[in-house]
Amino acid sequence: MPVAVGPYGQSQPSCFDRVKMGFVMGCAVGMAAGALFGTFSCLRIGMRGRELMGGIGKTMMQSGGTFGTFMAIGMGIRC
Amino acid sequence: MEEYAREPCPWRIVDDCGGAFTMGTIGGGVFQAIKGFRNSPVVSGRPVGLLRSRGPVAGGGDGAGDTFLLASSQGVSHRLRGSLTAVKTRAPQLGGSFAVWGGLFSMIDCSLVQVRGKEDPWNSITSGALTGAVLAARNGPVAMVGSAAMGGILLALIEGAGILLTRFASAQFPNGPQFAEDPSQLPAAPLPPSPFGDYRQYQ
Repeated sequence: MPVAVGPYGQSQPSCFDRVKMGFVMGCAVGMAAGALFGTFSCLRIGMRGRELMGGIGKTMMQSGGTFGTFMAIGMGIRC
Repeated sequence: MEEYAREPCPWRIVDDCGGAFTMGTIGGGVFQAIKGFRNSPVVSGRPVGLLRSRGPVAGGGDGAGDTFLLASSQGVSHRLRGSLTAVKTRAPQLGGSFAVWGGLFSMIDCSLVQVRGKEDPWNSITSGALTGAVLAARNGPVAMVGSAAMGGILLALIEGAGILLTRFASAQFPNGPQFAEDPSQLPAAPLPPSPFGDYRQYQ
């Protein structure tokens, strides 16, 4: 890393902080993607109403977790 | 991360490819370890599922819970072995497909940078969509369109999250955005406006 101190004199965040940040961001992206794709796939297999909400929520959780894990790993291998 | 972001274009491909392979292998190892442990056939119970079963987790989960109660310590060691088998079989595969995705993605990204002469989010969105299309090319045009839409939407989400985070974080902690983005997307991300324009000159 070329820079250890930012413009405002803040020290560089630790590795764990990056991994956490990667996880949070991956989680957000994964949840958004899961909401999109989950809606389509749940509608396609014929879910409606309350069941549809549950299906979308499950897809969102799953893809959020997967994305978050992968992005946390991606952060982790580069610090 | 910063010197990564400024990686000159041909070498970025190699870098992305390797990074994606590592990420896929480690992540695949984590997930397949869990999955292999849950789905592993146990000696004392009925075999609840094959290692390669890709079906919904919920169906396999109940049966796996049943057999887990039946399983003795020997069963646990069998499960660990199944988990190891799953990791050894699946994780390199996932790493390979990640590497293919990452390599092709950054190849197209670099080509777009060369052709358009600028780096912005549209580059990576376009290259995500094109990568999806190219990798699904053998499955016919419909699959190509679907896969391209998926890649494009995914990359757009990632880019959007990166931009949002940059804006949000630049107000609070100035060091945030440089690590808060997916590394393979970082090269094409736009340079954030105020505090980071001169930030790069610190190196």
